[in-house]
Order: sequence, then C-alpha cells, then structure tokens
Amino acid sequence: MIAPLLSARGVAMRFGRVAAVRDATLSIAPGESIGIVGESGSGKSTLARILAGLQPPSQGEVLFRGQPVYAGSIAYPGPLRRQVQMVFQDPYGSLNPRMTALAAVAEACRFHERCSAAEANIRSLDLLARMGIGPDDARKKPRLLSGGQRQRASVARALSASPALLIADEPTSAIDQSAQAQLLNLFHGLLGQGLSIILISHDLAVIRYLARRVHVMRDGEIVETGDTADVFDHPQHPYTQALIASIPGRRPKENRP
Amino acid sequence: MSLLDIADLTIGIPRGRATPLVIVENASLRLQPGEMLGLIGESGSGKTMLCRSLIGTLRRRGAAILSGRITLAGTDLAHTDEHAWRDIRGRRVGYVPQSALAGPNPVMTIAAQLREAILQGTPGTDVPARARELLDLVQIRRPERVLDQYPHQLSGGMRQRVMIACAIAGTPELLVADEPTTGLDVTVQAGIMQLLRDIRARLGTAIILVSHDLALVDDVCDRILVMHAGACVESVPANAAPRHPYTIALNRSRIELAEPGAPLLTIAGQPPSVGDWPPGCRFAARCSIAQPDCGLGPHPPLRGEAHANACLHPERAA
Ligand SMILES: Nc1ncnc2c1ncn2[C@@H]1O[C@H](COP(=O)(O)OP(=O)(O)OP(=O)(O)O)[C@@H](O)[C@H]1O
Ligand SMILES: Nc1ncnc2c1ncn2[C@@H]1O[C@H](COP(=O)(O)OP(=O)(O)O)[C@@H](O)[C@H]1O
Ligand code: SF4
Ligand SMILES: [Mg+2]
Ligand SMILES: [Mg+2]
Repeated sequence: MIAPLLSARGVAMRFGRVAAVRDATLSIAPGESIGIVGESGSGKSTLARILAGLQPPSQGEVLFRGQPVYAGSIAYPGPLRRQVQMVFQDPYGSLNPRMTALAAVAEACRFHERCSAAEANIRSLDLLARMGIGPDDARKKPRLLSGGQRQRASVARALSASPALLIADEPTSAIDQSAQAQLLNLFHGLLGQGLSIILISHDLAVIRYLARRVHVMRDGEIVETGDTADVFDHPQHPYTQALIASIPGRRPKENRP
Repeated sequence: MSLLDIADLTIGIPRGRATPLVIVENASLRLQPGEMLGLIGESGSGKTMLCRSLIGTLRRRGAAILSGRITLAGTDLAHTDEHAWRDIRGRRVGYVPQSALAGPNPVMTIAAQLREAILQGTPGTDVPARARELLDLVQIRRPERVLDQYPHQLSGGMRQRVMIACAIAGTPELLVADEPTTGLDVTVQAGIMQLLRDIRARLGTAIILVSHDLALVDDVCDRILVMHAGACVESVPANAAPRHPYTIALNRSRIELAEPGAPLLTIAGQPPSVGDWPPGCRFAARCSIAQPDCGLGPHPPLRGEAHANACLHPERAA
C-alpha cells in the first residue's frame, strides 16, 4: 500500500459544549481525491481546517507525510507548510478586494517562491491562464470578475505554492452551473497532474463526479465511508439515502397539473 | 387568459442625457394561473432585474422600464406609480428575495416580520391567528417557539420558510422566488421545492422560480425560460429536449448526468457584459454552430408558442 499523504486518526473538536467533530479518521494517498459530504453544521469546515493546519484539534492526531502536523506551537512546520493549500466557498473572503487577480496571485508567488516581481508576474499570468483567466481579466479587481472567475483566481493563488494537497471547502456552492463545470474540469486536470484533492460539499453530485472515495458526515461524525460509486449506488446510512434522493434530476416527478 | 403577460420588455439604467444602459432587452413571457415557471441563466443575465420589474423595485437598483408591457390579470404593471404598487406588492405579487442569508430583517422577531407582511398583504385580519396559519402553511412545526425568535436563531432552511410565509401573506396570484435555495443544503433545498409545489397546489399560486440550476427547475417547474445576456433565448416545457444551442450546452454541462471522471462539457468563455453586447445573437461568440448572419441586426426574438426558440438556425442545433 502506498503511504498516505495525509492521515487523521481519532480527530475531535469541541467548541464549548458543541462537539463539531467527533472521532474522525481518514486518509488520502498522493494523487487521490476524496470527498467529504454533509449538511450545513455537520462539521465539514471544522474538519477541513484541522486537516489544513489552521485549527488544532482538541483530540487526535494528523500526520502529513508521516510527520505530525500539530507538533509544538506551529502547524505544518517549515517546508511542509506550503504543500497544503485551501480554497474556500466564498472567494471574496480570500481575495483582497483592492488587488487585481494578477496582483493577488503574484503576491502569493513571491511569498512562496521568493522570486522577483517580474518573474512572479510571468508565473502568475501563466497560472491564471491555465485556470482560464486571460491577461485582460487577470488585471481586474475581484468585484469585476464573475463568481466562477473569482473562484478560479483563488485556485490559481493556492496553486502558486505548488502544493501537494488542495483542500477545497464548498468551492462550487456559490457559482453557477457552467462555472461549476469549468472549475470541476480544472480540478480534474490537476488530479491528472498528481495533485491530491479533498473536496468538501453538501452536493453529492459534485462529489460523485470528482472524488474516488467519500466520507459522509452528520452531526460531527463520519457516518458512512466508501468508494463513491458504491456509496452512490448502495447507500447504507439513511442520511446518505436522503442526500442522494435530494439531488435534482433524481427526484420523482409528482404534483404536476 | 394569461395571468401575466410580459411583451417586449426592456429594462435599463437611465443615464441622464446619454443613452440608457440596457440590462434586459425585449423580454417576453406569458404565465397561466397556477403555472410554475423556472427562470434560468448565468449570473448577470438579468434574472433579478426581470423579477424586480414584477414587484416595482427596479428603482431601488437605479433601473427603470424603458419600453414594453407588463400586464397582470388586466392590471398594467409597467406604468404603475409607487402609490399604486403598495396595493399590488404583497397582495397580488409576493416576492422571496435572492439569498437566504440576506433575507429577513435581523433585528425583528419572526412575529414582527410576519405582522408587517400580514398588515401589508391582508389589512384588517387577526394578525396572531393569521401568523400561525402562515407558519403552518410553510410547514413550520411548533410555530409558538419560532415566533419569538430572531432570524439568526433559525437555520437557513427555516429562515427561507419564514420568508415564503411573508411572501404569501396576502395570498398573491403570483409568487416570485429569486434563487430561494442557492447556498442551502441539497436536502433543505428539496424541502423548499416541495413546499413551493404544495403552495401552488393548495392556493393555486403561479410561481416564477429563479435559479441557475437547470436540473432543479427541470424537476420542479412546468416550463423553463432561459436568459442569456439580457435576452430570453428559449422557453421550453420541462422535460422537453432543449433546442437553443445555449440551453443545449447548459444541459450537457449538468454534472449529475456526467460519467465520473469524464471531462464535463462546458460553455466556452463568459457571456458578454452589460454595455458590451455585440450586434445580433449574444451567444454567437460561444456558439459552435454560429453562422455569419448570427452577428447581424438586433438580437433574434423568441419565436414559437409552446416551445419558443430565439436561435436563427435551429435546424443546425443538436
Ligand atoms: N445600477 C446598475 N448599474 C449598472 N449595471 C447594473 C446595475 N444593476 C444591475 N446591473 C447589471 O445588470 C445585469 C443583470 O443583473 P441581475 O442582478 O438581474 O442579474 P442576475 O441574472 O439576477 O444574476 P445572479 O445570478 O448573479 O443573481 C448585471 O450584469 C449587473 O451587473
Ligand atoms: N469557532 C467556533 N466556535 C464555536 N462553534 C463553532 C466554531 N466553528 C464551528 N462551530 C460549530 O461547529 C459545528 C460544525 O461547524 P462547521 O464545521 O462549520 O460545519 P459545516 O462546514 O459542515 O457546515 C457547528 O455547530 C458550528 O456552529
Ligand atoms: S442564432 Fe446563431 S449564434 Fe445564436 S445560438 Fe443560434 S446559431 Fe448560435
Ligand atoms: Mg462549511
Ligand atoms: Mg440575481
């Protein structure tokens, strides 16, 4: 078996009386894609932040390339840091409204690669172009870009660190259907280039398309785990069954006049 | 007779002596009583502006009706002043605004919000009794508990049910719901859709459901009106095969139909922005079957009755 890139064992997170995550165990291999699906408040984002090194868990351990992520006071020490990048649901939150898409990506490039401003610009324009954002749009501020373009710009920014693992928290929830298809294609291409992706969504159709394995969360707990196709065709947990029944296009058509 | 008749409606932003900035051009749409219509299109295609013209709130976004007609069961809505709108809004047309998060007033309890909606919708009714009845209609259990709460204490789905309760307080003939479930969970979304269908069945309300999810409206609605860059490009019965190249492409980009791992078919590029529309068909730059005449003259109008299409070359589309 290939050594996992990232693994979490018995991870739990309490916020006061709320148990946001309980006893979560999962792992992801290099180049693999896994999905985490569940309704709002089920603990997906909390788990994602723990895996990304942004939130020390109250219990359990997270290993990246076999090394503990939370050892001592900083998560992902030294060169491991840049290998895990995160994109969020609302790209407004992660893109500075006063900076053009190009400036935002170039800033990250310079931070990660310690290259000159000119080099960073060239690299960033190339990254943005790979994300389907041409030089004209690259020079626009976030509010002038469409939701899908903003989301792809924030992926470009995350990729400027040349990460091994991308954690995407509801990246398609706020964008339209055609922008969603463009973003998923892009993720698919990145998987082909060896990137690992943890995709978080409340939409099982998105997970089914991209993730090989899926973890279904409810009330902080992983209630079902398996190959996405199996879970999709033979859901065991009633909650998973409800999720699948809720996907538009799979619902029975009744109540029509 | 149609309940709602929109003909050649053009909406734009007046700019003093300069020509106005056109946002929706020559939109046409007819709705039967009790019909459920899905309105879809990419972000910025003009869906919200079209909805706002039906509740008289264009002015709040700096926009106005530039030409065309809107008739709701004999009432002219295109030339209605603010005073007259007060008798229509909430009573004849109900509105559920876009975004569950922006929804209700954060500093008013649910009881206070409902009270306001009831006084506007059906003045002179017994407010507490009607409030409970409305919460019952939107299938909120234990209404007594919800009434004293503030919006932030409710889940997104519950908040949206309250917004729908407010919108139907005056038993309107037409309910306009602008992306009522965008950003909400799929299970919650399914519940809200079922609720809209129940309301239609019980009260006979005609519903316009705005969405950018073709699969969703195809599931829930009787008919779908597709907008692209400010123009209506197709009016297609639910479950019928689309005929306009844009709708065909949208339909092909649906992930729930895709083979896992196979590349998704996407629509190249972005729609042209407002103020930057090319002559002719505004889908031409993204269309795989565009012909030289597609880029000439005004945008092609919708043609046909039950299944109307604005494409100049429907025989080539497949
Ligand atoms: N006051 C304004 N001045 C200039 N342009 C405007 C103004 N108000 C709206 N627009 C533009 O009009 C177009 C249509 O806006 P509208 O809100 O109707 O889109 P929409 O289809 O509802 O999109 P979404 O799916 O994002 O809600 C957009 O391109 C928007 O930027
Ligand atoms: N910083 C925090 N403080 C207190 N409670 C929190 C915090 N972050 C998350 N929670 C709670 O933990 C639970 C899981 O939240 P979250 O991980 O955001 O869920 P999801 O991403 O699945 O919607 C929720 O009940 C949420 O309110
Ligand atoms: S009118 Fe021409 S450009 Fe427009 S959709 Fe039809 S074929 Fe394509
Ligand atoms: Mg979340
Ligand atoms: Mg809108």
